[in-house]
Amino acid sequence: MNDSQHLSSQFDEDLTRLRTTVLQMGGLVETQVSSAIEAYGTGEVSSVKHIVDTDRKVNDLELAIDDDCAHLIAKRQPAASDLRLVFGISKIVTDLERAGDEAKKIAKGVRRIYEAGQMPSQYGIGVRHIAEAALGMLRQALDAFARLDTELAVKVIQADANVDTEFKSIMRQLITHMMEDPRTITTSIDIIWIARAVERIGDHAKNVAEHVVYIVEGRDIRHPAKESKA
Amino acid sequence: MSVQVVRALLAAFFSALIALPVGYFVAVWAGWTLFCTGLGLQLAFHFRNFARLERWSRNPIVDPSLEGEGAWDGVFGRLYQHEKDLRGQIAARDQEIALLIAAGQALTDGVVLLDGDNQILFCNTTAESQLGLVVQTDRGQPVVNLVRHPEFVDYLLLGDFSRPLTLRSERGEDRVLSIYIIPYAGKRRLMQIKDVTQSDRLDRMRRDFVANVSHELRTPLTVLAGFLETLQEIDVDREERTRYLELMAEQSRRMQSIVQDLLTLSSIESAPPPANDVVDMASLIDKLRRDAEALSAGRHQIVVEADSKADLRGSEPELVSAFGNLVSNAVRYTPPGGTIRIIWHTGAQGGEFAVEDTGIGIDAKHVPRLTERFYRVDRGRSRDAGGTGLGLAIVKHTLNRHQAQLDIKSTPGVGSRFSARFATRRVVDV
Repeated sequence: MNDSQHLSSQFDEDLTRLRTTVLQMGGLVETQVSSAIEAYGTGEVSSVKHIVDTDRKVNDLELAIDDDCAHLIAKRQPAASDLRLVFGISKIVTDLERAGDEAKKIAKGVRRIYEAGQMPSQYGIGVRHIAEAALGMLRQALDAFARLDTELAVKVIQADANVDTEFKSIMRQLITHMMEDPRTITTSIDIIWIARAVERIGDHAKNVAEHVVYIVEGRDIRHPAKESKA
Repeated sequence: MSVQVVRALLAAFFSALIALPVGYFVAVWAGWTLFCTGLGLQLAFHFRNFARLERWSRNPIVDPSLEGEGAWDGVFGRLYQHEKDLRGQIAARDQEIALLIAAGQALTDGVVLLDGDNQILFCNTTAESQLGLVVQTDRGQPVVNLVRHPEFVDYLLLGDFSRPLTLRSERGEDRVLSIYIIPYAGKRRLMQIKDVTQSDRLDRMRRDFVANVSHELRTPLTVLAGFLETLQEIDVDREERTRYLELMAEQSRRMQSIVQDLLTLSSIESAPPPANDVVDMASLIDKLRRDAEALSAGRHQIVVEADSKADLRGSEPELVSAFGNLVSNAVRYTPPGGTIRIIWHTGAQGGEFAVEDTGIGIDAKHVPRLTERFYRVDRGRSRDAGGTGLGLAIVKHTLNRHQAQLDIKSTPGVGSRFSARFATRRVVDV
């Protein structure tokens, strides 16, 4: 009796540590994204290297956390909500890592544009705006995970639609730009890549929020259409 | 205690006293029965009181209806008093704790208390808004789960708190926080968070100012020195020489105007309050329009929208220079073909002088810093346009001296509106 209690509290400790590590990884991705946005706005290309370096750390953390998840399942055979937590974490980590990759893409795009002697913020002012929105979503998704707050998670999921609409309107704007003045095509394409990456970050934030709902409620809401048919 | 024992013995002795004659005169069994009944009654009495005490002890509330009988009364009374005192003490403590917490809440600095595992025990409302915490849900949560900034996490885990950590707050506006961590009561930690946005900005302004003054003066000086050297060492023909001298004169004029602007600025700062003359706005605006047309040389459309006949109270030369500055900025930063509106409007809220243009506009993040000395949105462009970098700083100071506010609205690519709002007492209706 005493022994099993000891074991389970050890298990709880492992889970808490795992969660904290995931959130540390999330913190790294958050700073990656926010420095990428800042680089886009100010043209401080010096931070690009830092963003790329952080990506390596994020990748290492992804591997380490996945490994921990596998160990935890093998050693402790968690059930019910604990099992969902471990599964959810392993999915969240994948999404975080991809969001980090997108931040890296933004940073590299910004560097390309500046090296060509252009100012990206002149072309796509809206990009900065959706980038802030996507960063906010990512932050809220991680907060929702820390607090296991499904209400906040649902808000994040709903916010994704706004980012998508704004992304489309930026696309239209840039297309008009390109048609008016073909000299801007090179830069505009780079900005489209950046906007695309931003939109993907929003998607990953939404995925994280969906995993949070799964962890808390055991409900998989990734494909709502399918669920309602069934 | 002994009194109770004596009483119990007395009761037993009393039963024996009645039972003994009965047993002697009637029958022995009757005597025993009587004696046992006496003892039994006594037992029943005690048991009843004991049961009452037992019931109460399961849920010890302060209940005045709780009373014992006989010897039990004292016991119940003392228990009642004890319970009442305890409750009073707890209430007093609770109030003290509530007052301490209220004091913590009243602090303008953010405070977070952490336990040995860096889990949140308490945080005040300031800290909640600074770090995005919610005390109801986040108590017991490791603080690094919510304040995920890698710099902060490293700082906390490294455990060297001899210097505060300066952190750019990630939540909302660009706030700069300075975080102190103070260990207390063993492994617990107190996080004190100061908002240093303002002093950070002042620091940056001061550093920028010195760097900018030197830079602004060095550029023309370098040109001057270069030409002087050339003239000293190389024989140049007359025509070339004149051209050099002209360029040198231009650079020295530039230095003069920078020094002049700096002097103006420092004299406005230390001067007595401005004169209280009545400034004729109609003629002032007319002069502004003529100056703008001269500067624009027909490249822009200058529109005057003065729907008020009222005048202003203040120092004429200062206002002319401030308004002139706004107008010449508008001309300089509006591409040819644009429109510049000079607006003078009065109402119940006072007077408003505004200059609107359809120029290049300013990004929102530069707007709060525009009136800093030598602050330039785009270094190259503003110097080409001939500015000293001090114009808006002078405008702001002048308007401050007239208790007026400078309000800047701008959209990049669309245009800007600079307006000066004057209080009603500065406006003179004609």
